[in-house]
Amino acid sequence: MRRKGSSETISPQDVSGKILGYMEERFGLGPELFSPYRMYLASKGRVYLGPRNVPDMPKIATIGLLIARVNGAVKPSTNLLQIMGKHVEKNAVELEKQQALDFAKGQDVRLAPAQLATLRDGYVLMRYNAEPLGCGFLRLGAVKNMLPKAKRLPLRFI
Amino acid sequence: MTGQAESIPAPFRARYCPLVDDENAFLASLSRLLPKAFRINTLKSTREDVSERFAGYGIGLATVPWYEDAFVCDNPEAGFSLEHFTGAIYMQELVSMLPPLLIRDILPGARMVLDGCAAPGSKTTQLAALMGNRGTIIANDVSYSRIRALKFNLEKVGALNTVITNRDLMAFPDMDFDAVIIDAPCSAEGTIRKNWEVFDTWSARGVQTYARVQKQLIVKGFDLLAPGGTMVYSTCTFAPEENEAVVDELLKSRPDAKLEPIAIDGLKTSGTVESWDGAEFDPETRKAVRIWPHHNDTGGFFLAKVKK
Ligand SMILES: C[S@@+](CC[C@H](N)C(=O)[O-])C[C@H]1O[C@@H](n2cnc3c(N)ncnc32)[C@H](O)[C@@H]1O
Repeated sequence: MRRKGSSETISPQDVSGKILGYMEERFGLGPELFSPYRMYLASKGRVYLGPRNVPDMPKIATIGLLIARVNGAVKPSTNLLQIMGKHVEKNAVELEKQQALDFAKGQDVRLAPAQLATLRDGYVLMRYNAEPLGCGFLRLGAVKNMLPKAKRLPLRFI
Repeated sequence: MTGQAESIPAPFRARYCPLVDDENAFLASLSRLLPKAFRINTLKSTREDVSERFAGYGIGLATVPWYEDAFVCDNPEAGFSLEHFTGAIYMQELVSMLPPLLIRDILPGARMVLDGCAAPGSKTTQLAALMGNRGTIIANDVSYSRIRALKFNLEKVGALNTVITNRDLMAFPDMDFDAVIIDAPCSAEGTIRKNWEVFDTWSARGVQTYARVQKQLIVKGFDLLAPGGTMVYSTCTFAPEENEAVVDELLKSRPDAKLEPIAIDGLKTSGTVESWDGAEFDPETRKAVRIWPHHNDTGGFFLAKVKK
Protein backbone atom coordinates (compact mmCIF):
# COMPACT_ATOMS: atom_id res chain seq x y z
CA MET A 1 0.00 0.00 0.00
CA ARG A 2 1.28 3.44 -0.86
CA ARG A 3 0.90 6.42 1.38
CA LYS A 4 0.28 9.93 0.14
CA GLY A 5 3.04 12.46 0.58
CA SER A 6 5.74 9.86 1.07
CA SER A 7 7.90 7.80 -1.17
CA GLU A 8 8.00 5.00 1.38
CA THR A 9 5.95 1.91 0.65
CA ILE A 10 4.71 -0.03 3.59
CA SER A 11 2.80 -3.30 3.68
CA PRO A 12 0.13 -4.21 6.22
CA GLN A 13 2.40 -6.94 7.62
CA ASP A 14 5.24 -4.50 8.09
CA VAL A 15 2.93 -2.08 9.82
CA SER A 16 1.70 -4.70 12.21
CA GLY A 17 5.23 -5.72 13.11
CA LYS A 18 6.30 -2.13 13.49
CA ILE A 19 3.39 -1.28 15.79
CA LEU A 20 3.79 -4.37 17.94
CA GLY A 21 7.49 -3.64 18.32
CA TYR A 22 6.84 -0.03 19.27
CA MET A 23 4.08 -0.84 21.77
CA GLU A 24 6.22 -3.41 23.54
CA GLU A 25 9.34 -1.30 23.55
CA ARG A 26 7.74 2.00 24.49
CA PHE A 27 4.88 0.97 26.81
CA GLY A 28 5.52 -2.67 27.71
CA LEU A 29 2.31 -3.67 25.91
CA GLY A 30 2.79 -7.28 24.85
CA PRO A 31 1.63 -8.74 21.52
CA GLU A 32 -0.90 -10.96 23.33
CA LEU A 33 -3.03 -7.85 23.96
CA PHE A 34 -3.33 -7.37 20.21
CA SER A 35 -3.54 -10.97 19.07
CA PRO A 36 -7.35 -11.40 19.41
CA TYR A 37 -7.64 -8.63 16.80
CA ARG A 38 -6.25 -7.67 13.44
CA MET A 39 -4.62 -4.45 12.25
CA TYR A 40 -5.99 -2.65 9.21
CA LEU A 41 -3.98 -0.06 7.34
CA ALA A 42 -5.98 2.87 5.95
CA SER A 43 -4.94 6.00 4.05
CA LYS A 44 -2.37 8.45 5.42
CA GLY A 45 -0.71 5.76 7.53
CA ARG A 46 -3.70 5.35 9.83
CA VAL A 47 -3.82 1.97 11.53
CA TYR A 48 -7.01 0.47 12.95
CA LEU A 49 -7.35 -2.42 15.38
CA GLY A 50 -10.50 -4.39 14.73
CA PRO A 51 -12.11 -7.82 14.68
CA ARG A 52 -10.30 -10.66 12.90
CA ASN A 53 -13.45 -11.75 11.13
CA VAL A 54 -14.76 -9.02 8.84
CA PRO A 55 -17.26 -9.95 6.14
CA ASP A 56 -16.34 -9.00 2.62
CA MET A 57 -18.93 -6.36 1.83
CA PRO A 58 -19.21 -2.90 0.30
CA LYS A 59 -19.76 0.36 2.17
CA ILE A 60 -17.63 -0.38 5.19
CA ALA A 61 -16.97 2.98 6.83
CA THR A 62 -14.67 1.96 9.68
CA ILE A 63 -13.20 -1.23 11.08
CA GLY A 64 -12.42 -1.20 14.80
CA LEU A 65 -10.67 1.82 16.30
CA LEU A 66 -7.85 4.07 15.18
CA ILE A 67 -4.88 2.98 17.31
CA ALA A 68 -1.95 4.71 15.64
CA ARG A 69 -0.59 6.70 12.75
CA VAL A 70 2.54 5.51 11.04
CA ASN A 71 4.40 8.18 9.15
CA GLY A 72 7.92 6.98 9.54
CA ALA A 73 7.56 7.01 13.31
CA VAL A 74 4.61 5.50 15.20
CA LYS A 75 2.15 7.87 16.86
CA PRO A 76 -0.19 6.05 19.25
CA SER A 77 -3.77 7.28 19.66
CA THR A 78 -5.62 8.27 22.80
CA ASN A 79 -8.12 5.49 21.99
CA LEU A 80 -5.44 2.88 22.28
CA LEU A 81 -3.86 4.27 25.44
CA GLN A 82 -7.29 4.49 27.08
CA ILE A 83 -8.18 0.90 26.19
CA MET A 84 -4.85 -0.67 27.12
CA GLY A 85 -3.70 1.92 29.62
CA LYS A 86 -4.09 -0.36 32.61
CA HIS A 87 -1.45 -2.68 31.11
CA VAL A 88 1.06 0.07 30.37
CA GLU A 89 4.29 -0.56 32.27
CA LYS A 90 6.55 2.25 31.17
CA ASN A 91 6.42 5.83 29.98
CA ALA A 92 3.24 6.51 31.92
CA VAL A 93 2.99 9.82 33.74
CA GLU A 94 1.30 9.70 37.14
CA LEU A 95 -0.43 13.08 37.29
CA GLU A 96 -1.33 15.29 40.22
CA LYS A 97 -4.96 16.35 40.44
CA GLN A 98 -4.48 19.83 38.96
CA GLN A 99 -2.37 18.42 36.14
CA ALA A 100 -5.07 15.88 35.33
CA LEU A 101 -7.73 18.61 35.23
CA ASP A 102 -5.53 20.69 32.92
CA PHE A 103 -4.83 17.73 30.66
CA ALA A 104 -8.50 16.72 30.34
CA LYS A 105 -9.30 20.32 29.33
CA GLY A 106 -6.76 20.11 26.53
CA GLN A 107 -3.85 22.02 28.06
CA ASP A 108 -0.18 21.10 27.93
CA VAL A 109 1.30 19.98 31.22
CA ARG A 110 4.67 20.81 32.80
CA LEU A 111 6.03 17.93 34.88
CA ALA A 112 7.92 17.99 38.17
CA PRO A 113 11.43 16.48 38.23
CA ALA A 114 10.21 13.52 40.29
CA GLN A 115 7.59 12.70 37.65
CA LEU A 116 10.19 12.83 34.92
CA ALA A 117 12.61 10.43 36.56
CA THR A 118 11.61 7.25 34.71
CA LEU A 119 10.34 8.80 31.47
CA ARG A 120 12.00 9.10 28.10
CA ASP A 121 11.05 11.79 25.58
CA GLY A 122 8.37 10.68 23.12
CA TYR A 123 4.73 9.64 23.45
CA VAL A 124 3.52 9.00 26.98
CA LEU A 125 0.37 7.76 28.66
CA MET A 126 -1.21 10.31 30.98
CA ARG A 127 -2.66 8.59 34.01
CA TYR A 128 -4.47 9.77 37.13
CA ASN A 129 -5.24 7.52 40.07
CA ALA A 130 -4.58 4.46 37.89
CA GLU A 131 -7.13 5.71 35.29
CA PRO A 132 -5.68 6.14 31.78
CA LEU A 133 -6.60 9.60 30.45
CA GLY A 134 -4.94 9.71 27.06
CA CYS A 135 -1.87 10.41 25.02
CA GLY A 136 0.71 13.16 25.41
CA PHE A 137 4.06 13.97 23.83
CA LEU A 138 6.93 14.55 26.25
CA ARG A 139 9.78 16.83 25.34
CA LEU A 140 12.08 18.92 27.54
CA GLY A 141 10.07 18.33 30.70
CA ALA A 142 6.69 19.33 29.28
CA VAL A 143 3.88 17.24 27.83
CA LYS A 144 2.14 18.44 24.73
CA ASN A 145 -1.56 17.57 24.80
CA MET A 146 -2.59 15.00 22.17
CA LEU A 147 -6.25 14.64 23.14
CA PRO A 148 -8.53 15.10 20.14
CA LYS A 149 -10.57 18.30 20.60
CA ALA A 150 -13.90 16.47 20.75
CA LYS A 151 -12.70 14.41 23.71
CA ARG A 152 -11.65 17.35 25.90
CA LEU A 153 -13.77 18.10 28.94
CA PRO A 154 -13.63 20.54 31.87
CA LEU A 155 -13.84 17.96 34.66
CA ARG A 156 -15.42 18.74 38.01
CA PHE A 157 -15.21 15.34 39.69
CA ILE A 158 -11.97 13.46 39.61
CA MET B 1 -38.45 21.41 29.66
CA THR B 2 -41.23 19.47 31.32
CA GLY B 3 -44.74 19.78 30.04
CA GLN B 4 -47.95 19.83 32.00
CA ALA B 5 -50.34 16.92 31.91
CA GLU B 6 -53.10 19.33 30.78
CA SER B 7 -51.24 20.22 27.60
CA ILE B 8 -51.08 16.64 26.33
CA PRO B 9 -53.06 16.71 23.06
CA ALA B 10 -56.59 15.28 23.34
CA PRO B 11 -56.20 12.85 20.41
CA PHE B 12 -53.09 11.45 22.11
CA ARG B 13 -55.02 10.86 25.35
CA ALA B 14 -57.91 9.34 23.47
CA ARG B 15 -55.57 6.93 21.73
CA TYR B 16 -53.50 5.69 24.63
CA CYS B 17 -55.44 6.16 27.86
CA PRO B 18 -57.69 3.17 27.09
CA LEU B 19 -54.56 0.98 26.77
CA VAL B 20 -53.13 1.62 30.23
CA ASP B 21 -54.06 0.28 33.65
CA ASP B 22 -53.95 3.66 35.36
CA GLU B 23 -54.69 6.66 33.19
CA ASN B 24 -53.82 9.29 35.79
CA ALA B 25 -50.53 7.70 36.72
CA PHE B 26 -49.69 7.39 33.01
CA LEU B 27 -50.44 11.03 32.19
CA ALA B 28 -48.73 12.27 35.34
CA SER B 29 -45.59 10.29 34.55
CA LEU B 30 -45.39 11.82 31.06
CA SER B 31 -45.07 15.30 32.50
CA ARG B 32 -42.30 14.34 34.91
CA LEU B 33 -38.74 14.70 33.67
CA LEU B 34 -37.00 11.41 32.95
CA PRO B 35 -34.39 10.42 35.55
CA LYS B 36 -30.90 10.32 34.09
CA ALA B 37 -29.12 7.01 33.99
CA PHE B 38 -25.84 5.49 32.96
CA ARG B 39 -24.39 2.08 32.32
CA ILE B 40 -21.04 0.79 33.51
CA ASN B 41 -18.79 0.17 30.53
CA THR B 42 -17.37 -3.18 31.60
CA LEU B 43 -14.73 -2.94 28.86
CA LYS B 44 -13.06 -0.26 30.97
CA SER B 45 -14.31 -0.48 34.52
CA THR B 46 -16.49 -2.23 37.10
CA ARG B 47 -19.59 -1.24 39.03
CA GLU B 48 -17.68 -1.57 42.32
CA ASP B 49 -15.02 0.86 41.14
CA VAL B 50 -17.47 3.41 39.79
CA SER B 51 -19.77 3.24 42.85
CA GLU B 52 -16.83 3.82 45.12
CA ARG B 53 -15.60 6.82 43.14
CA PHE B 54 -19.04 8.42 42.93
CA ALA B 55 -19.46 7.94 46.69
CA GLY B 56 -16.17 9.80 47.03
CA TYR B 57 -17.55 12.66 44.91
CA GLY B 58 -20.68 12.80 47.06
CA ILE B 59 -22.85 12.07 43.99
CA GLY B 60 -25.73 9.78 44.85
CA LEU B 61 -26.38 6.72 42.70
CA ALA B 62 -29.45 4.50 42.78
CA THR B 63 -29.21 0.89 41.68
CA VAL B 64 -31.64 -0.60 39.16
CA PRO B 65 -33.37 -3.84 40.21
CA TRP B 66 -33.21 -5.46 36.78
CA TYR B 67 -29.67 -4.61 35.64
CA GLU B 68 -26.64 -4.76 37.87
CA ASP B 69 -24.59 -2.48 35.62
CA ALA B 70 -27.18 0.32 35.40
CA PHE B 71 -27.41 3.28 37.76
CA VAL B 72 -29.81 6.19 38.06
CA CYS B 73 -28.00 9.43 38.77
CA ASP B 74 -29.94 12.64 39.00
CA ASN B 75 -26.92 14.88 39.35
CA PRO B 76 -26.43 16.58 35.96
CA GLU B 77 -22.80 17.04 36.93
CA ALA B 78 -22.13 13.33 36.32
CA GLY B 79 -21.32 14.37 32.75
CA PHE B 80 -18.28 16.22 34.15
CA SER B 81 -16.87 13.22 35.97
CA LEU B 82 -13.59 11.52 35.23
CA GLU B 83 -15.56 8.33 34.54
CA HIS B 84 -17.59 9.98 31.79
CA PHE B 85 -14.40 11.39 30.31
CA THR B 86 -12.56 8.05 30.25
CA GLY B 87 -15.58 6.07 29.05
CA ALA B 88 -15.85 4.05 32.26
CA ILE B 89 -19.55 4.97 32.19
CA TYR B 90 -21.93 5.50 29.27
CA MET B 91 -24.94 7.80 29.60
CA GLN B 92 -27.95 5.83 28.44
CA GLU B 93 -31.62 5.86 29.14
CA LEU B 94 -32.71 2.79 31.12
CA VAL B 95 -35.16 1.28 28.62
CA SER B 96 -32.56 1.66 25.89
CA MET B 97 -30.49 -0.95 27.74
CA LEU B 98 -33.14 -3.63 27.25
CA PRO B 99 -32.60 -4.95 23.69
CA PRO B 100 -29.03 -6.21 24.29
CA LEU B 101 -30.10 -7.61 27.68
CA LEU B 102 -32.67 -9.87 26.01
CA ILE B 103 -29.85 -11.71 24.23
CA ARG B 104 -27.13 -11.45 26.85
CA ASP B 105 -26.89 -15.25 27.17
CA ILE B 106 -25.89 -15.72 23.53
CA LEU B 107 -23.65 -12.66 23.17
CA PRO B 108 -20.46 -13.95 24.83
CA GLY B 109 -20.17 -16.77 22.27
CA ALA B 110 -21.64 -14.94 19.29
CA ARG B 111 -19.59 -14.85 16.13
CA MET B 112 -21.40 -12.20 14.11
CA VAL B 113 -24.00 -9.72 15.40
CA LEU B 114 -25.86 -7.03 13.46
CA ASP B 115 -27.07 -3.75 14.90
CA GLY B 116 -29.15 -2.73 11.90
CA CYS B 117 -30.13 0.82 12.94
CA ALA B 118 -27.17 1.57 15.16
CA ALA B 119 -26.49 5.30 15.40
CA PRO B 120 -25.64 6.91 17.79
CA GLY B 121 -24.59 3.59 19.27
CA SER B 122 -26.15 3.07 22.70
CA LYS B 123 -27.00 -0.53 21.87
CA THR B 124 -23.77 -1.16 19.93
CA THR B 125 -21.59 -0.01 22.82
CA GLN B 126 -23.54 -2.24 25.17
CA LEU B 127 -23.30 -5.21 22.79
CA ALA B 128 -19.54 -4.75 22.62
CA ALA B 129 -19.35 -4.82 26.42
CA LEU B 130 -21.58 -7.88 26.73
CA MET B 131 -19.43 -9.63 24.09
CA GLY B 132 -16.26 -8.73 25.97
CA ASN B 133 -14.92 -7.09 22.78
CA ARG B 134 -14.86 -10.47 20.98
CA GLY B 135 -16.66 -11.69 17.88
CA THR B 136 -17.79 -9.12 15.30
CA ILE B 137 -20.54 -6.52 15.47
CA ILE B 138 -21.70 -4.88 12.27
CA ALA B 139 -23.04 -1.48 13.31
CA ASN B 140 -25.05 -0.11 10.42
CA ASP B 141 -26.96 3.11 9.90
CA VAL B 142 -28.36 4.81 6.82
CA SER B 143 -27.62 8.30 8.07
CA TYR B 144 -24.14 9.57 7.28
CA SER B 145 -24.38 12.42 9.79
CA ARG B 146 -25.38 10.08 12.62
CA ILE B 147 -22.46 7.76 11.82
CA ARG B 148 -20.15 10.45 13.22
CA ALA B 149 -21.76 10.20 16.63
CA LEU B 150 -21.68 6.41 16.40
CA LYS B 151 -17.96 6.50 15.70
CA PHE B 152 -17.33 8.88 18.57
CA ASN B 153 -19.22 6.66 21.01
CA LEU B 154 -17.49 3.48 19.90
CA GLU B 155 -14.16 5.21 20.47
CA LYS B 156 -15.30 6.42 23.85
CA VAL B 157 -16.07 2.94 25.15
CA GLY B 158 -13.13 1.25 23.38
CA ALA B 159 -15.21 -1.10 21.23
CA LEU B 160 -12.67 -2.99 19.13
CA ASN B 161 -14.98 -5.69 17.78
CA THR B 162 -17.03 -3.38 15.55
CA VAL B 163 -17.38 -2.66 11.86
CA ILE B 164 -19.38 0.43 10.87
CA THR B 165 -21.35 0.29 7.65
CA ASN B 166 -23.31 3.19 6.22
CA ARG B 167 -26.21 1.96 4.12
CA ASP B 168 -29.92 1.41 3.87
CA LEU B 169 -30.52 -1.86 5.68
CA MET B 170 -32.89 -2.84 2.89
CA ALA B 171 -29.90 -2.99 0.54
CA PHE B 172 -27.82 -5.16 2.86
CA PRO B 173 -26.26 -8.23 1.19
CA ASP B 174 -27.34 -11.71 2.30
CA MET B 175 -25.60 -12.79 5.48
CA ASP B 176 -26.02 -15.11 8.46
CA PHE B 177 -26.04 -13.36 11.81
CA ASP B 178 -26.26 -15.09 15.18
CA ALA B 179 -28.18 -12.10 16.49
CA VAL B 180 -29.80 -9.03 14.96
CA ILE B 181 -31.00 -5.89 16.72
CA ILE B 182 -33.53 -3.71 14.94
CA ASP B 183 -33.96 -0.61 17.08
CA ALA B 184 -36.27 0.94 14.56
CA PRO B 185 -36.74 4.59 13.63
CA CYS B 186 -40.09 5.48 15.21
CA SER B 187 -42.41 8.29 16.24
CA ALA B 188 -40.63 8.33 19.62
CA GLU B 189 -43.76 8.96 21.69
CA GLY B 190 -42.12 7.13 24.56
CA THR B 191 -39.35 9.74 24.81
CA ILE B 192 -41.78 12.53 25.70
CA ARG B 193 -40.38 12.67 29.22
CA LYS B 194 -37.05 13.95 27.97
CA ASN B 195 -38.27 15.62 24.83
CA TRP B 196 -41.61 17.38 25.18
CA GLU B 197 -41.25 18.67 21.61
CA VAL B 198 -42.48 15.27 20.42
CA PHE B 199 -45.96 16.73 20.94
CA ASP B 200 -45.24 19.70 18.64
CA THR B 201 -45.29 17.50 15.58
CA TRP B 202 -47.29 14.57 16.89
CA SER B 203 -50.20 13.28 14.88
CA ALA B 204 -51.87 9.90 14.68
CA ARG B 205 -51.14 9.93 10.95
CA GLY B 206 -47.40 10.39 11.46
CA VAL B 207 -47.09 6.86 12.76
CA GLN B 208 -48.17 5.37 9.43
CA THR B 209 -45.04 6.60 7.69
CA TYR B 210 -42.86 4.89 10.26
CA ALA B 211 -44.92 1.71 10.21
CA ARG B 212 -44.26 1.20 6.51
CA VAL B 213 -40.48 1.37 6.99
CA GLN B 214 -40.57 -0.75 10.15
CA LYS B 215 -42.39 -3.57 8.40
CA GLN B 216 -39.64 -3.71 5.81
CA LEU B 217 -36.87 -3.50 8.40
CA ILE B 218 -38.21 -6.27 10.61
CA VAL B 219 -38.56 -8.69 7.68
CA LYS B 220 -35.11 -7.81 6.38
CA GLY B 221 -33.63 -8.25 9.87
CA PHE B 222 -35.22 -11.68 10.09
CA ASP B 223 -33.90 -12.68 6.66
CA LEU B 224 -30.40 -11.76 7.81
CA LEU B 225 -30.56 -14.24 10.71
CA ALA B 226 -28.80 -17.58 10.58
CA PRO B 227 -31.06 -20.55 11.35
CA GLY B 228 -31.34 -20.69 15.14
CA GLY B 229 -30.50 -16.98 15.38
CA THR B 230 -32.34 -14.41 17.49
CA MET B 231 -33.62 -10.95 16.57
CA VAL B 232 -34.79 -8.21 18.91
CA TYR B 233 -37.17 -5.64 17.47
CA SER B 234 -37.68 -2.52 19.57
CA THR B 235 -39.19 0.95 19.44
CA CYS B 236 -39.61 3.78 21.92
CA THR B 237 -43.17 4.48 20.93
CA PHE B 238 -46.69 3.57 22.06
CA ALA B 239 -48.35 3.30 18.65
CA PRO B 240 -49.65 -0.24 17.96
CA GLU B 241 -49.13 0.46 14.25
CA GLU B 242 -45.37 0.61 14.93
CA ASN B 243 -45.28 -2.27 17.39
CA GLU B 244 -47.75 -5.16 17.40
CA ALA B 245 -48.80 -4.52 13.80
CA VAL B 246 -45.16 -4.68 12.67
CA VAL B 247 -44.55 -7.98 14.43
CA ASP B 248 -47.86 -9.26 13.06
CA GLU B 249 -46.67 -8.42 9.56
CA LEU B 250 -43.45 -10.39 10.10
CA LEU B 251 -45.40 -13.44 11.30
CA LYS B 252 -47.61 -13.23 8.22
CA SER B 253 -44.82 -12.94 5.69
CA ARG B 254 -42.29 -15.30 7.37
CA PRO B 255 -44.08 -18.37 8.73
CA ASP B 256 -40.83 -19.71 10.22
CA ALA B 257 -40.60 -16.70 12.58
CA LYS B 258 -41.41 -17.59 16.19
CA LEU B 259 -41.67 -15.26 19.15
CA GLU B 260 -40.05 -15.98 22.48
CA PRO B 261 -41.51 -14.88 25.79
CA ILE B 262 -39.73 -11.99 27.51
CA ALA B 263 -39.18 -11.79 31.24
CA ILE B 264 -36.61 -9.67 33.00
CA ASP B 265 -36.33 -10.12 36.74
CA GLY B 266 -37.25 -6.93 38.57
CA LEU B 267 -38.76 -5.13 35.56
CA LYS B 268 -42.51 -4.65 35.28
CA THR B 269 -43.58 -5.38 31.72
CA SER B 270 -47.13 -5.25 30.32
CA GLY B 271 -49.08 -7.20 27.77
CA THR B 272 -49.40 -6.13 24.18
CA VAL B 273 -52.38 -4.60 22.43
CA GLU B 274 -54.38 -7.53 21.05
CA SER B 275 -56.46 -5.70 18.48
CA TRP B 276 -56.41 -2.23 17.01
CA ASP B 277 -58.47 -0.32 14.52
CA GLY B 278 -60.79 -3.27 14.10
CA ALA B 279 -58.02 -5.73 13.32
CA GLU B 280 -57.00 -8.64 15.53
CA PHE B 281 -53.27 -9.40 15.82
CA ASP B 282 -51.79 -12.91 15.63
CA PRO B 283 -51.92 -14.35 19.19
CA GLU B 284 -48.17 -15.06 18.89
CA THR B 285 -47.59 -11.27 19.10
CA ARG B 286 -48.71 -11.45 22.75
CA LYS B 287 -45.25 -12.73 23.66
CA ALA B 288 -43.90 -9.25 22.95
CA VAL B 289 -43.97 -6.71 25.81
CA ARG B 290 -44.74 -3.06 26.41
CA ILE B 291 -43.07 -0.95 29.04
CA TRP B 292 -45.23 1.92 30.21
CA PRO B 293 -43.49 4.97 31.72
CA HIS B 294 -45.35 4.92 35.03
CA HIS B 295 -44.47 1.32 35.90
CA ASN B 296 -40.71 1.55 36.27
CA ASP B 297 -40.21 5.34 36.07
CA THR B 298 -38.64 5.10 32.59
CA GLY B 299 -39.44 6.09 29.03
CA GLY B 300 -41.98 4.05 27.06
CA PHE B 301 -40.75 1.02 25.10
CA PHE B 302 -41.77 -2.00 23.07
CA LEU B 303 -39.79 -5.23 22.67
CA ALA B 304 -40.23 -8.38 20.63
CA LYS B 305 -37.80 -11.32 20.67
CA VAL B 306 -37.91 -13.37 17.48
CA LYS B 307 -36.32 -16.73 16.85
CA LYS B 308 -35.58 -18.28 13.45
C1 LIG C 1 -34.03 4.76 17.14
S1 LIG C 1 -32.65 5.23 16.19
C2 LIG C 1 -31.43 4.07 16.68
C3 LIG C 1 -30.80 4.33 18.01
C4 LIG C 1 -29.61 3.44 18.29
N1 LIG C 1 -29.96 2.03 18.12
C5 LIG C 1 -29.03 3.65 19.67
O1 LIG C 1 -29.36 2.87 20.57
O2 LIG C 1 -28.25 4.59 19.87
C6 LIG C 1 -33.07 4.68 14.57
C7 LIG C 1 -31.95 4.78 13.55
O3 LIG C 1 -32.35 4.10 12.36
C8 LIG C 1 -31.72 4.70 11.26
N2 LIG C 1 -32.42 4.25 10.05
C9 LIG C 1 -33.60 4.68 9.56
N3 LIG C 1 -33.93 4.01 8.44
C10 LIG C 1 -32.93 3.12 8.20
C11 LIG C 1 -32.66 2.15 7.16
N4 LIG C 1 -33.52 1.98 6.17
N5 LIG C 1 -31.52 1.44 7.23
C12 LIG C 1 -30.64 1.64 8.24
N6 LIG C 1 -30.84 2.54 9.24
C13 LIG C 1 -31.95 3.27 9.22
C14 LIG C 1 -31.80 6.18 11.60
O4 LIG C 1 -30.81 6.91 10.90
C15 LIG C 1 -31.59 6.18 13.10
O5 LIG C 1 -30.24 6.44 13.42
